[in-house]
Amino acid sequence: MKKYLKINKEAIRVAISSAAAYRADFLLSMIITLLSNVLYPLVTILVYRTGASYDGWNMYEVLLIQAVFTMSSGISSMFFESIVWSTMRDVQNGTLEIILIKPVNCMVYLIVSGFNVYSIGVVIGGIIMFAISIIKLGFPSPDMWIVSLIFFAMGILVMLAMQLLMAATSFKWVANSRIPEMYESVMSFGKYPQSIFNKVVVGLTTFIIPVAMIGFFPAAALLGKVQWYMYLAIIPCILFLCLGVAVYHYNVRLYEGVGG
Amino acid sequence: MEDILIKVDGLGRRYVTYKRGSGFKESIKSFFKRKKVYVDAVKNVSFTVKEGDIVGILGPNGAGKSTTIKMLTGTLYPSEGTIDVMGYNPCKDRVKYVKNMGAVFGQKSQLIFDIPPVDSFVMNKAIYDIDDREYEERLKLLTELLELGDIIYRPTRVLSLGERMKCEFIMAMLHNPKIVFLDEPTIGLDVIAKQNVRKFIKEMNERGVTFILTTHDLQDVEQLAKNVIIINSGEKVFDGTITELKNTLGAKKIVEITLADDTESDVSDIEGVKLIEKNNNLQFTLEVDTEIIPINKFIGLMSQKSVFTDISIKELPMEDVIAKIYTEKVGK
Repeated sequence: MKKYLKINKEAIRVAISSAAAYRADFLLSMIITLLSNVLYPLVTILVYRTGASYDGWNMYEVLLIQAVFTMSSGISSMFFESIVWSTMRDVQNGTLEIILIKPVNCMVYLIVSGFNVYSIGVVIGGIIMFAISIIKLGFPSPDMWIVSLIFFAMGILVMLAMQLLMAATSFKWVANSRIPEMYESVMSFGKYPQSIFNKVVVGLTTFIIPVAMIGFFPAAALLGKVQWYMYLAIIPCILFLCLGVAVYHYNVRLYEGVGG
Repeated sequence: MEDILIKVDGLGRRYVTYKRGSGFKESIKSFFKRKKVYVDAVKNVSFTVKEGDIVGILGPNGAGKSTTIKMLTGTLYPSEGTIDVMGYNPCKDRVKYVKNMGAVFGQKSQLIFDIPPVDSFVMNKAIYDIDDREYEERLKLLTELLELGDIIYRPTRVLSLGERMKCEFIMAMLHNPKIVFLDEPTIGLDVIAKQNVRKFIKEMNERGVTFILTTHDLQDVEQLAKNVIIINSGEKVFDGTITELKNTLGAKKIVEITLADDTESDVSDIEGVKLIEKNNNLQFTLEVDTEIIPINKFIGLMSQKSVFTDISIKELPMEDVIAKIYTEKVGK
């Protein structure tokens, strides 16, 4: 474990110095990622300006959900997203051997050795939005914070699981750049209060692909709107991660030609 | 008694591919129903490698060299047979095994492209858990041997191929591996860079590192390898020393001779001598089988026959030997 933290530390250093090598590219990418992630809440603001609203939720409550979602996806893409691209690249170019000849677990290594500097902008954007909404809505109590933090951590695990599943697909379908688009659309169910969806969607996004854990549940906890089934959703989150890990490992084993 | 480092027994690797027809109709058909085809990339290969050896693995393109190397480095499971490297099963004990193993792939870079090699080295330091003092010592030793100086502090993308390859060697050897696999390490390098790399390999070998080398550059083999294994169509067709390899076509020498006058130029009456090329009436290239006629006897006979102004005696070119083995039918 200590080894992987060390590798991660090096990877962050490397990513920052790589980014520094191309300054203009770094600034531009940062601005683009920030804009594309912050534009979304702007839509919410526009919706509320017209007098419309999401059923039973005021604007700052919805913004809070989206702020949590933005922070969560920012953190996950900062630390985990690179496994999708590196797996795709390594399988396509046949350079996965380079990782397999190192004394590391291939999956863990690919996760910790990547660091997406550009997502820093997204996280910062999320934090700003979060701060504004919290100030407007009033400060939650400590126990709300704790529940919210637990949900938030679970949400990040769900993101990690999704990244692993996406990465795993590139073992079979080389260069499938459409998969991340699908991922984005599935994720976006976590951006809204669940009360706007019908029962089937609520069930799906809570217990099958628990994306509600990414934005909605942690925000609901802060707003004092926790319901019992939200705690239950922790189980599918963990199962989902187990599934991601298992599928990824299975594909690495296939790559190594076990049995075949 | 030298220790045996690698023991390979009955190694085989079978791939499953699907037969796809050509043409539109066949393509549509194969979309719904595909026929499985088994391909044996490596069949029943056995060999041993002793500690401190440099073994050259040769073979034509697609012969199964890379597959063999992949299995030896633990990145591909064998379909049959066993591999034992330093007491490890490369695939099953991969993580423990690769700590003692290094690899350089001429066609796949381990360096991170945008940053100086030294930063990639620090990454490997973390991966292999090398302590600070050992890392400093190792890095100093390797940069000195490779005469790299401050090149390791420049961004990898501005380095020449030769400089980069040297850095790849550092990358592979920082953790002090006992055994290093080299897959076409001199590909694309200029003469000087090749010589430098070879010199480095020899020096590291003298320090006790065992090398397994695949290459298409026969100079690499002639200058480096102590033993040679040739794989063709997935099967081992030769295993022995360099001298044994050269003698596979018989102990033959190539003699180029220039006569003073064209009085007597017929050599067909000498047994064991074959005329290969006749440049003009005075210049000949002959192949002499020294098993039938020793070279001094041949020269004696020749000088009785005719007057020559120049004579040079050469080894049979490696290329001829290798080409002969490559084209020979497997399992004759």
